[in-house]
Amino acid sequence: MTPLRRWRLSHLSLYRRLMVWLLCPLALLVAVMLLQAWLASREAADRAFDRLLDAASLSIAEQVRWQQSRLWMDLPPSALEMLATDAEERVFYALYDAHGHFVTGNRSLPTLPAENGSQMSYGDVTSRGMPLRLGVLRARLEGWDRSDRFEVRVAQTREGRQALANQLFLASLVNIVIIAGLAVVVVLLSARFALEPLTRLRRAIRQRNPRTLAPLELPLPRELAELRQTLNELLARMRRVRANQERFIGDASHQLKTPLAGLSTRAELALRQSDPATWREALATMHGTATKTARLAGQLLSLTRLNNPEATPAKQAVDLTALARRCVREAFSRHHRRGVDLGVEAPEHAVMASANDWQLEEALNNLIENASLYGASQVTVQVTDTPPRLAVIDDGPGIPESQRLLMLRPFHRGQETGDGSGLGLAIVDSIARAHDIRLSLQAVHPDHPERPGLCIALTFSSDA
Amino acid sequence: MYRPDLFIRRLTTAPHHIRHLAGVLLALTLLVAASAQARTLHFTADAESSQPLTIYGVVDPPQVYPLLADFHRRNPDIAITYHNLETLALHARVLQERDAPRADVIMSPAMPWQYQLANEGLSTPVDSPAAEAWPSWARWRQELFGFTFEPIVMVYRRDLATRMPPPESHAELLSLLRQRSAELSHRVVTYDPRFSGAGYTYAIEDARISARYWDLVEALGQAHSELETTTAAMLEGLSEGRYWIGYNLIGSYVQDYVAEHPELAMVVPKDYALVLQRLVMMSRNAPHPVAAQRFIDYLLSAPAQRLLATQTTLGAVHPAIDGLGTAADLRKRLGEAIRPVQIGPGLLATLDTLKRQTLLEQWQQAFKNHSTHADGPLADPSPLPRAPQK
Repeated sequence: MTPLRRWRLSHLSLYRRLMVWLLCPLALLVAVMLLQAWLASREAADRAFDRLLDAASLSIAEQVRWQQSRLWMDLPPSALEMLATDAEERVFYALYDAHGHFVTGNRSLPTLPAENGSQMSYGDVTSRGMPLRLGVLRARLEGWDRSDRFEVRVAQTREGRQALANQLFLASLVNIVIIAGLAVVVVLLSARFALEPLTRLRRAIRQRNPRTLAPLELPLPRELAELRQTLNELLARMRRVRANQERFIGDASHQLKTPLAGLSTRAELALRQSDPATWREALATMHGTATKTARLAGQLLSLTRLNNPEATPAKQAVDLTALARRCVREAFSRHHRRGVDLGVEAPEHAVMASANDWQLEEALNNLIENASLYGASQVTVQVTDTPPRLAVIDDGPGIPESQRLLMLRPFHRGQETGDGSGLGLAIVDSIARAHDIRLSLQAVHPDHPERPGLCIALTFSSDA
Repeated sequence: MYRPDLFIRRLTTAPHHIRHLAGVLLALTLLVAASAQARTLHFTADAESSQPLTIYGVVDPPQVYPLLADFHRRNPDIAITYHNLETLALHARVLQERDAPRADVIMSPAMPWQYQLANEGLSTPVDSPAAEAWPSWARWRQELFGFTFEPIVMVYRRDLATRMPPPESHAELLSLLRQRSAELSHRVVTYDPRFSGAGYTYAIEDARISARYWDLVEALGQAHSELETTTAAMLEGLSEGRYWIGYNLIGSYVQDYVAEHPELAMVVPKDYALVLQRLVMMSRNAPHPVAAQRFIDYLLSAPAQRLLATQTTLGAVHPAIDGLGTAADLRKRLGEAIRPVQIGPGLLATLDTLKRQTLLEQWQQAFKNHSTHADGPLADPSPLPRAPQK
């Protein structure tokens, strides 16, 4: 498995990949050309040498006549010498009559099937373990009285053909090797040139200051220009994200600074007094401010955690009914003291959804807290089935429709009154995004301008 | 003395030849019996790691002995067995043993037969520098090597010079036969191509070289020339004074004989001289290829060739060897007139049965003075009308 994976194409460098895709077909092409050259040179050699078989058998056939009431032949030695060639081939000849009877010759040779429209046919045969090229000439006597058919069969060994074929093939081989060599050089060079902009891009990226998020500016071919553009878009996004983060940190420090400054002032004022009653009053105020600040810090922490893109929530099946009941039970006494009527409206059975337990609890707590903080006197946590939905309904002043999207941004408060930190809905929104839950805000009583109320619903996708 | 050319024969089976045939067979049997004790030569190996080498050959023991002895002296680890055979018997035996040859090396002066064996693929290439350097006219592939150089010659009695100028060339012989045909009647002797394979081979080569050969045959016929089947018989007749001129005799035998018979003189024809070569080859699937290759390498080496030139009458081919009895010497004296029988597929035509019959018929007709057919049975029977003479 491991060596296989090592050789998978996707692991190869672009340069190697190009080499593989260019050189493999080139090698295949060269192989095909070599095969073709080999066959062609064999054929050319055969054609050239078959002429000799042709000439020799014709010159033998000319000497065939009818004499002493049989086929007769005065074998011309030159015909055989013609066949011997420079390669000093072994030479065989035979004369056969119309019935296929051997008349004369130095070896009995097989016949060949007649080829259409040709007196002469050629073939490769093996005779007594010797590979031979055989030529068979079909002819008839030219005379007044007899016109018997006869066959002149001549054969030679293949050394001369082999030598010529090898010579021709060698010439083609040299050509093909030269061409293939040039092609390889061209392929190597062009791949280098083609990949050169990529190298430039890589260098440009590597040489950048790691802190800078400025867009890349260098001339590149079209395909890489797209990559550069995508890269620049990514950089732009990162710039925005960084700006957001900077703003968030600024807001957060500002938010923390104000209560801390208040605390410091309050403590200073109290210290100038010597009346314990004043101290007590100051301590009570300071306690309230510290609690609020602690809550703010907690919310900032969870928001940071939620916004960390690398921490994907581990989802499990969560019973929404049980969750709603638990949250309400925990928050009940606190709200009751403030005079807020907190209740649950849930079916008897469990409503299951896939989510991260503690994050969902955090979101619900935030929603409940938010509602009570912004002036609601009655808050209802509602759980419905199909699709699983968790809603917090209040009878507070609500949020005007134009403000609703802004409300999801951190530190944005719908109204300056109230004790909220401006992070509650931002946290809920982050959790909803991480869970792929649809978050919707709408008025409960749109026809009631004073207190339209607000219903914030988390709707799970039904297939979850 | 054993004469291999005696046995080069392929007999036509025409009935009127049977009587003649019987006589020849009788002579043959007697000669074989006489030479039986000299049929094989054996040299035992001296070294411990000996390897055998079997040679089939058609070279007289007295001629081949110095060669084998010298080879044995240089290669004492090789045990040589030399079988001297008659050409057709050698041919038949090699064909018979084609799948499991017993001989490592085969040597024979019957060039067409030897070539046929090689063409059949019964020989194997010898890969050695000596074989590669061997002159191309004296070899076929790397398989068949002509290692001797034996011209075909004419012989005349020295006392002929008192009556007429002795012939120095084919043309002179022809004019002599035409001018003095009555005087030379029954006094000229040559091979009978019908009964002698050697004679047939020379006839076919003569006819290939010149069309005037047929005039010569006709003139020979008109002079009632005698026909023999062996060089030995011709030399004997010449020595006894029965014949005055002998045509187409094997030079290597003549040279020996003339040395002992001063009344005879040998002439290498000046216009053209056929040259016979003994061909040596290594058997395919030779049982002892290493020894065989060493022997052939030796035959083609300068020492062996010098030995052939000096101690035998077979003649040397090696281009580096000069002096009497070498190809270089003959070429220097006769130049272009030297016509070694070509080692090539043309030799196969010689063995073609129909070709043989055609040629012999033509020869017979020319010899018997059917003069209209002097150009052969294919000649146009009605020649073109001549232009009217003024």
